[in-house]
Amino acid sequence: MGKEVGLMENHVELDNVSKFYDAEQKLHALQEVSFGIGLGEFVSIVGPSGCGKSTLLKIIAGLDRPTSGEVRFNGGTVQGPHGKISMVFQAFGLFPWRNVLENVEYGLEMRKVSKKERRNLAEQYLEMVGLAGYEHMYPKQLSGGMRQRVGIARALAVEPEVVLMDEAFSAIDEVTAEVLREEVTDIHRQTGKTFVLVTHNLSEAIELADKVVVLSSRPAKVKKVMPVSLERPRDRTHSLFIHMHKDILHLLKEELENTLIRHKLQGIRELQSIHDIEAQGSTAKPKQPLITT
Amino acid sequence: MSVEKQKALALSLTGSVFAGHRFANYYWVAPLALGFAVWEALTRFGVVPSKSLPTFSSVLLVFFSSIQSVTFLLRIAHSFLNLVCGLLMAFSIALPLAFAAGSKNKFDLTVTPLIMLFGALPDLSFLPLLVLWFGPGNVAAVIMASAAGFFPIYFTVREGTKNIPRELFDVTSIFKSDRLSTFTKMVLPAISPHMFSGLRLAYDFAWEIIIAIEIATRVAGIGNFIDGNVASGSLQSGFAAILAIALVAIAVDRLFFGSLESWARKWA
Repeated sequence: MGKEVGLMENHVELDNVSKFYDAEQKLHALQEVSFGIGLGEFVSIVGPSGCGKSTLLKIIAGLDRPTSGEVRFNGGTVQGPHGKISMVFQAFGLFPWRNVLENVEYGLEMRKVSKKERRNLAEQYLEMVGLAGYEHMYPKQLSGGMRQRVGIARALAVEPEVVLMDEAFSAIDEVTAEVLREEVTDIHRQTGKTFVLVTHNLSEAIELADKVVVLSSRPAKVKKVMPVSLERPRDRTHSLFIHMHKDILHLLKEELENTLIRHKLQGIRELQSIHDIEAQGSTAKPKQPLITT
Repeated sequence: MSVEKQKALALSLTGSVFAGHRFANYYWVAPLALGFAVWEALTRFGVVPSKSLPTFSSVLLVFFSSIQSVTFLLRIAHSFLNLVCGLLMAFSIALPLAFAAGSKNKFDLTVTPLIMLFGALPDLSFLPLLVLWFGPGNVAAVIMASAAGFFPIYFTVREGTKNIPRELFDVTSIFKSDRLSTFTKMVLPAISPHMFSGLRLAYDFAWEIIIAIEIATRVAGIGNFIDGNVASGSLQSGFAAILAIALVAIAVDRLFFGSLESWARKWA
């Protein structure tokens, strides 16, 4: 999709999204994150580990609320899980007591879709992810790659406009993951749905995306938005691919170093304050006596 | 019922009892038979006086005549009914508490230590009080059985709830499951393997306590029947009753818990 990012109408828009994990606003996860996701665009979000990528995705999904700012979908504020936004999970999120078919039907069941239609849709999407014939297997009988196919079929079966993927390929062996990534690329092309992928795998991010959003370390800010103009299917040995990979890696390393320096400074400050307290303690009396009589 | 039908029923029963179960092989039959043979020989050859241990064959004979007696069967039914009532009570109190403790940390920290405190007390020590309050009867028996069954159900369900992966709650949210469906279609099946083992333990504990109470307070169940018969010297009837309890316990274990567990084994 060699479209210009600027010309695309934003399907999902993050507007100054900030998030604190705690009420005292000390654990700062996200700081004024803003970017747009075009209709039918595939966006990868990368960042240092623990920077709040998954939190950001949860906020887009409506599973978590931002402390300030908002996420807009089709122009309306996302207030909670939205019927047109679906999700694929890192550990697949399958119900082990349901067979493949019943797992894919789950989302439709929650929408009170009739049994017959449910079955039809589920079969159709199982076919799409190459799992026709596995309907009556239980998740424990499937390999990781196949389980994630079920997860993808379940996400697609509710016919969403946006598919969110949280580290969707991280728990799968590399070869299977590569095949699955190619299939997701096909599904993206065929369905024209908007995809958002959170990942720590830079090659994966570049391979799949129309643009890569690079986040800084915590509190996460948008460090850079990089459009990927490579033709699909993408060649990981293409010089442009390698250059992008290097650039992103450089950005993330920089972040990591900043964090280390910050932690060191903080450590020194803490040592200093401990020193101060100890110095005080020898002369000053404790503010409150331990036992009052 | 025709003989053919009876045969078919017996076959299907034993089939469902043993099919797919670890008892499906019959290796255990030989040692059991040997045990009974040793028992028979001990009394028959005068190693043990028959007034202390009747022969196995005489026990069997009394057993087969007893199970045709309505009063005998009613006694078993009586004990079984108290047991089931106790377990239902235990289950309906323990399940919501355990679920709350498993999902709400504050509730867990408040309630679980208290429950552990009560669990540490020997259940039967409360029996005299219960008898004082409710009289020596079914009420005391049901309450004691539910107390015995409460702890295994509570702790297994609490553990099961804590073990539900966070991700599964996200899955229910993303597909906009309402609270009731989240409970019935996600939480309950997710905790069911834990819950089944809790129920099975509760069932075993409750049987023991029911028999003990019947002996201690003369509730007209099967425990009291054993006590009375052994005291008056008819040991055969006592042994026959023990055999009957064992068979009921095994049947329920296999038919009820067996089918629950084979469902869970399919996917867990």
